[in-house]
Amino acid sequence: MSLITATPPAPSAPPPAPSPSIADRAPRRRVSPERIAAILALGAIVVASVIALADSGISIPSMIESWGNAERFFARVGTITFPEPGELVYLTALTIGLVLCGTLLAAVISVPIAYLAASNTTPGRGWQAFGRFVTVLTRAIPDVVLAMVFVLMFSLGSLPGILAIGIHSIGMIAKLFADAIEQIDEGPRRAIRAAGGSKLQEFTSGILPQVLPSWVATVLHRNDINLRGSVVLGYVGVVGLGMEMSFAFKSLNYSEGLGIALVMFALCVVMEIVSSVVRQAMLGGAPTGRGLGDRVVRLAGRAGAKRGVETTPVARPAVSHDLDAALRRPWDAVRIRNTVWGWLAFAVVVGSVLVCNIQWGDLITFWAKVPEIAVQFWPPSFGNYDAATMFGAMAQTIGIALAATLLAFVVSVFVGSLAARNVAPNGTVRTSMRLLLVVIRGIPEVILAIVLIVITGLGSQAGTLALAFGGIGLLGKLIADSFEEVKPGPERALRATGASRGQVYASATLPQGTRALIGHSFYLLDTNIRAATILGIVGGGGIGYYLLNAGQGSNYAVVTAIVLMILVTVLIVEGIAMWMRRVFK
Amino acid sequence: MSTQVGNEDSVVIDVSGLTKEFGRTVALQGASLTVARGEIVVLLGLSGSGKSTLLRHLDGLETPTSGSVRVLGQEVPRLTGRRLRALRSRMGFVFQQFDLVPSLTVLENVLTGALSELRGPRIGLWSYPKRLKLTALGHLDRVGLLDRAYQRADTLSGGQQQRVAIARALMQDPEILLADEPVASLDPESSEQVMSLIREIAMDEGLTVVCSLHQVDLALSWGDRIVGLRHGEVVLDTPAEGLSKAEVMEIYGRVATSTTELEAIEVELSDAAADAAAETHLADGALRS
Ligand SMILES: Nc1ncnc2c1ncn2[C@@H]1O[C@H](COP(=O)(O)OP(=O)(O)OP(=O)(O)O)[C@@H](O)[C@H]1O
Ligand SMILES: [Mg+2]
Repeated sequence: MSLITATPPAPSAPPPAPSPSIADRAPRRRVSPERIAAILALGAIVVASVIALADSGISIPSMIESWGNAERFFARVGTITFPEPGELVYLTALTIGLVLCGTLLAAVISVPIAYLAASNTTPGRGWQAFGRFVTVLTRAIPDVVLAMVFVLMFSLGSLPGILAIGIHSIGMIAKLFADAIEQIDEGPRRAIRAAGGSKLQEFTSGILPQVLPSWVATVLHRNDINLRGSVVLGYVGVVGLGMEMSFAFKSLNYSEGLGIALVMFALCVVMEIVSSVVRQAMLGGAPTGRGLGDRVVRLAGRAGAKRGVETTPVARPAVSHDLDAALRRPWDAVRIRNTVWGWLAFAVVVGSVLVCNIQWGDLITFWAKVPEIAVQFWPPSFGNYDAATMFGAMAQTIGIALAATLLAFVVSVFVGSLAARNVAPNGTVRTSMRLLLVVIRGIPEVILAIVLIVITGLGSQAGTLALAFGGIGLLGKLIADSFEEVKPGPERALRATGASRGQVYASATLPQGTRALIGHSFYLLDTNIRAATILGIVGGGGIGYYLLNAGQGSNYAVVTAIVLMILVTVLIVEGIAMWMRRVFK
Repeated sequence: MSTQVGNEDSVVIDVSGLTKEFGRTVALQGASLTVARGEIVVLLGLSGSGKSTLLRHLDGLETPTSGSVRVLGQEVPRLTGRRLRALRSRMGFVFQQFDLVPSLTVLENVLTGALSELRGPRIGLWSYPKRLKLTALGHLDRVGLLDRAYQRADTLSGGQQQRVAIARALMQDPEILLADEPVASLDPESSEQVMSLIREIAMDEGLTVVCSLHQVDLALSWGDRIVGLRHGEVVLDTPAEGLSKAEVMEIYGRVATSTTELEAIEVELSDAAADAAAETHLADGALRS
């Protein structure tokens, strides 16, 4: 019966009066007030960014002038020098070890947090809210601030850095861990429940094996980020290459400072390559037999065969009804590969802990110092500064972030689109754009900023440029990836109608990718606000400068006040971003 | 109560007046079903008639809106925590989508069937006792997949994966085997193989089986008893012997009183026809290749 008397699904709209004109009969397009508000807010943010960019004083003449500065600077520096080889190796190992320990600490803490925060595993709404709160809060407090506090509490050593990285990284790692849990296939888990398994067993046997590859990828990704960030931690007293570099620049030993910056840069690139290799090996899904691990295994197998060791063939064992024989798992390629990776990972972790030379005792004695130090941080105050100066500095930081995001956005839409397979006119363009993005991502923006600031002394201008440059690497890749993920159907349909390449892009690709575009841009703005704070610490202007001063001058009440300002700003941006993502769904 | 206890030996499943509502959807409406030990029962019914929901209630994966579900002498909805898990461990459950963990080896997947008798989490083959590993290998041998023990589960074909899932259920040393459309995602040949394997094992071990199926032909040749569900009600409950396909179809048709139901049945029938066509196609392909 409902087939015949089907009513149009518009219960809230008044029934249209019969009218001859189609234009009159067509339903009005209705835009919800919330959407209008979001569009206005977005417009306001764009206008603010344009103003900030105009204010930042970035212009072609000033760039040319700073080029002259750079030439004079390099003439004065002469040759780049490095610390002694032994020292350099130790510092490098220490930096990597410290960062790895911090990231691993965060990963371990993130497991229960993610379990609480994921909608399909959380024991209740309250727990879920708590999990989400922890991820937002830890992400909002910059690791530099944590490091400053921890440096006060611990006698020197690696613990402040490890804890700062460890706590700050929980935010991102736990969030991505939870996302991975929410994407699992529920089947295996249900099967274990049906067999009478406990909640913990459901997790370890049904969920963990499914999310492990993605978790490892997340941890590696975060580790790359932390390695870049470790330079700044050196400026507030965390041991490693960053600290040496800050000492060198402070004592005007530019040639060594630049040398360490170069080492750091190389380290970041190497780490990025290593982690992408490991990621690929883990995410490959069913083994292809073509990965790096397999190649290593084959080589080792060949060597083993030469030594006369008996090697089991790669394929499955012969059909056998002898269960005891079947109990011995054959050493096939997969097992060898897993074992090799496992022990390698174990060795790296143990090595990291050893090189950090952690003063475990501090973890116990530190509790005694907490109350004494805590009182110094409370209540917050602006101390000798007046409120106008501080809010002005905060505004400058926000301005740097906005201007950098805008610059990065404009370039990224262009580069990112051309790097997408379905937009690029040909393979060569796509490949070269992808390559460009990889190279840009390889350059740590903090180091770029430090070097730019040291060379040109341009303050916030150098900071904005460095942030924008780094932003292109991130946003360009995200845009390219999300354009490649749009449904191919609409593009095909438009091409079939004879639309040009540009028309297909504008009418099929872009509309489908808009939501991701907005989401990713806000993500960049979010990270840029934090990064802009940090830039201040290395001399790039804004609130970070005052934060460092307050920390070094032991004005902890001022530190608290500044941290609260940063926290509020970050939370507001995060809130706006979440709202935008929801409205433009 | 006392009569129930007296029956416990012969009656292993006793569902009465079971109603389940999901919001406004009524999935089960006063369904009743009694199964004796060793019986092999097939649930038939249109899509959405409540077969899966009924099976899930038997295993305590769903809580009834009203009615009683007694399995192995215990009122399932009243159980929680360890006692519920203990009861679940006495029932094997085989799902349509196999539900193996793709990245684990076949052997470890089978071993997860024994988790309820182990305390605490297990990660990796080494964490299971040797005794259980031998048992698991034995079950893999039983389903003809011993040589695949150390392969990743997602490298197997659908039919093989379902046989691994059966081995996993056997790990529980179950008294009852529940199966929800175990062959719905398999080709006819694998279906045949999997279904006869289930029957064979059930006969050997004296298992009670409740299995939902879509294929009427298969149900008639395979089950001891046919239970028909429609809109969450039990509308048919007879021995399979002597029942013809036409009779089952006729029962589907006769109980359909409203137009929408008839439409639904027509859709179902044309689906079945399409399936049959697809099957012939497959068979043709197999012949040609
Ligand atoms: N978790 C749930 N939430 C809401 N409705 C549900 C849920 N599970 C089942 N239902 C509804 O209950 C009814 C019975 O579903 P059920 O899955 O038991 O049917 P079925 O007979 O197994 O169908 P099929 O043959 O398609 O598997 C359907 O209308 C279904 O939409
Ligand atoms: Mg079902």
